[in-house]
Amino acid sequence: MIRFPILLDIYQRGDGPLKRVERISLPETGDYSIGRLSENQIVLDTPEVSKRHATLIVREDGIAVSDRGSTNRTYIGDTEVDISPWDGALPIRIAQFEIHLVAHTAASASETKVNVPQDNATRALASGTPAPAPAPRGQSIEVALNAPSAPDEMRFPRNVFKSEIVSASDIKSSEYFAGESTYLTVGAGLGSFVWADHLRIFGVSKNDIRAIGDDVTPYANYQRLCRNSQIPPHERLRSNSQSTPDNIWGFPGYASRETWKDLKEFRFGGLTHIFQVFGEASLAQTFTPRSGEVFKSIDSEAQRIGWREMFVAGRVLGIRKTNDERYAVAYRVPEDQARGGVRERIMIGKFLHISTGYPATRFTDDLQAFKARFPEEARVFNAYENHEVVYRSIEQNSMPATIVVRGRGIVASRIIQRLYEARSKNKNITIVHQMRNPIAKNEGYRYKRAQRYVYNHIENQAFNWPKGTWGGQLLRETDRASPEERLKIYEALGGTTTADRRDWRNIIQLGLGDGWYKPVFGHFETLELVKTDQGPKIQMRLKAQPNQPPVEVVADYVVDCTGLIGDISHSPLLRDLVETYKLPRTLGVGGGKVGGIFVTSDFEIAALRNGSGRTYAAGQITLGGPQPGVDTFLGMQYSALRSVDHLAILGAPNVSLFGPLRSFSQWIKWCTNTKP
Amino acid sequence: MVPTLKGRWLTRILLFLWIGVPITFLFSLYVAGPGSPALPYIGWHYDLLPFQILSLILLVGLVMDPVYFYAQQFRWERDWPFAYFFFFSIIEFVIVLALVWWGVLDFTRSRSELHTSENYLLFTVHFGCVFILSFVAVLGLIQIFMIRWRFKSGEWGRM
Repeated sequence: MIRFPILLDIYQRGDGPLKRVERISLPETGDYSIGRLSENQIVLDTPEVSKRHATLIVREDGIAVSDRGSTNRTYIGDTEVDISPWDGALPIRIAQFEIHLVAHTAASASETKVNVPQDNATRALASGTPAPAPAPRGQSIEVALNAPSAPDEMRFPRNVFKSEIVSASDIKSSEYFAGESTYLTVGAGLGSFVWADHLRIFGVSKNDIRAIGDDVTPYANYQRLCRNSQIPPHERLRSNSQSTPDNIWGFPGYASRETWKDLKEFRFGGLTHIFQVFGEASLAQTFTPRSGEVFKSIDSEAQRIGWREMFVAGRVLGIRKTNDERYAVAYRVPEDQARGGVRERIMIGKFLHISTGYPATRFTDDLQAFKARFPEEARVFNAYENHEVVYRSIEQNSMPATIVVRGRGIVASRIIQRLYEARSKNKNITIVHQMRNPIAKNEGYRYKRAQRYVYNHIENQAFNWPKGTWGGQLLRETDRASPEERLKIYEALGGTTTADRRDWRNIIQLGLGDGWYKPVFGHFETLELVKTDQGPKIQMRLKAQPNQPPVEVVADYVVDCTGLIGDISHSPLLRDLVETYKLPRTLGVGGGKVGGIFVTSDFEIAALRNGSGRTYAAGQITLGGPQPGVDTFLGMQYSALRSVDHLAILGAPNVSLFGPLRSFSQWIKWCTNTKP
Repeated sequence: MVPTLKGRWLTRILLFLWIGVPITFLFSLYVAGPGSPALPYIGWHYDLLPFQILSLILLVGLVMDPVYFYAQQFRWERDWPFAYFFFFSIIEFVIVLALVWWGVLDFTRSRSELHTSENYLLFTVHFGCVFILSFVAVLGLIQIFMIRWRFKSGEWGRM
């Protein structure tokens, strides 16, 4: 139950830390619109906020936030939301603003009086909130209580998607209808790209394929994650030479291409890449490609297959079966593509493919709580979000700085490497590497007769799964296993690992010797903000083994490298799909949790079959399925091949069986950069 | 490579048919050609000796495959690096030479005719040609034609 009035703090991020600009009070239930125009109840007047940006839906039993198709979108914490309940644990983020829930159960009269805008460019007109009413200047926040906007059922796409099966003719005669396509992929990221690439090479025309997504660059999201987790274009990814999202055959791999490029410029050092592939793991370090080279290769393939013509800019909001054995996909196009103010569209497709990727970045609970308590202090970051401020601030002078790196995965290794590089500018940087527990040499994961290698309490593995899961014995075992057996295999093969890179080992060796790298084990019992002479710091008390005394750490920053959220219920689109069609889920690793959407060995979502219409899925959303490495380049190539092969057997239009001769002739076309 | 036992066998047979047989055919013409120890005159004659060697290589390989597969079970990645493939191919050929020396092919012709240094040189050159092309095929040529091969642990056919 919500107790009124609800108090909200609005913070604004300028160049520095967050600043509270306003406290507002919502006296009763209603729909409070947020946007740039003054007709909104909560006005956030900066260009980054859309005219009608979002709605805060306040009911007796809870609060929800709904994005109204804004350009820069609405977030809860780091999770982008279309519509989502809001419990206030994480702030709502709109452009440079954050809305924090102060209290709705313990609201006292005195709190409602706290209304001291920190700059006089703000103005509040909310009832119950005294308005300081200085002259508005530049940015303003305005709160007024106007008539509530339309209820949820009236809002797109719920106003059209009233039942599980919708009428295709109704959609075609509606203002939303945006066309039909035989093949339709949702997400338009790397998963969609690889699928469309297979279809094109198997014989489908670009006019029969559409890909709906946020960005015309298929790797845009992946590149952002790479950049934030400190993998610039010249750094190497954790991916194999033959995992080539731009080339469905995996040959030539990135190693031979890099060698060839070097040889053309008379750099014979390039031959080491070939040797790396030859002696991989045993005689030489595993070859991995540079991120920049991979992106360039994808650009070139996108050009070849006509990706730009297949791409449709839009945010997919809902999917429904139609009554003519197809699927209706509702989406919202960017503001500049609005048709008479209408941005909502529905496209109908016969063969659907869903690959929407990771829904969110993850914070461990204690760090999340710290962030919520001290929103002004930019001290705690997820490695996948932009945290350049950490490196900037510790590199600019030689003040002692302590950084806690949490997690033992590949991202942690890369962040440690970045901090090591920062040490060339500031010798007083100390790295505290926090891991849950120590792992002895002989305690690596075991599966049947083999055991994983451990170095410095971290399990080592070339890629995020053992290689045999991408096409060998281990793939066969997971593919054929029952859901329960599958879970057991996943648990035995999974876990966090890093790559066995010589430079990383040297950094650890050096740091251990000189004392600027310290591994610590356990979880933090307390996280506090303390004021010191050198500014605010985070004080942490670390609980290690039960028989050991707690460890105190005082740090300037915490970089959380524990990863991304794979839980699909964070995605409103998938949650709606799962609930509407009762889609079965896979068993999630880690005790009773649910995993991704259950798919067949052909990566079909069988529960979405609609007569002769078919829906396939790829990427992270299928985690826990027939193949472990679904969120990898090679995993996407595998799932695309499986589903397109399946379409070929079904007799889907223009999808060939792709025998050796067609394969070879298409490969020649790839080599000569000719359209498929 | 991440082969299964069946995948190893099928890939071996594939390489035998695609690369081994055509190259061996050329060698058998050479062996039977002018100056050859078997039939020293010009004409479309051929000698089965290179085919007998090739079959022996295939047989030794098929027998060795379960050993490799067993060894693979102790590798966490369940993979078989290209370097291993390279090294053990040579070992297999050494086994073939030892078998010939020991006399497994003695039923085909007299020892004096078979066990000449020219013949052993010929076996080595023949093996070298078949092996280098097979290695290149495994590195990438096969998957250009058979796109599913790399996901099927070395087996042929559809998914």
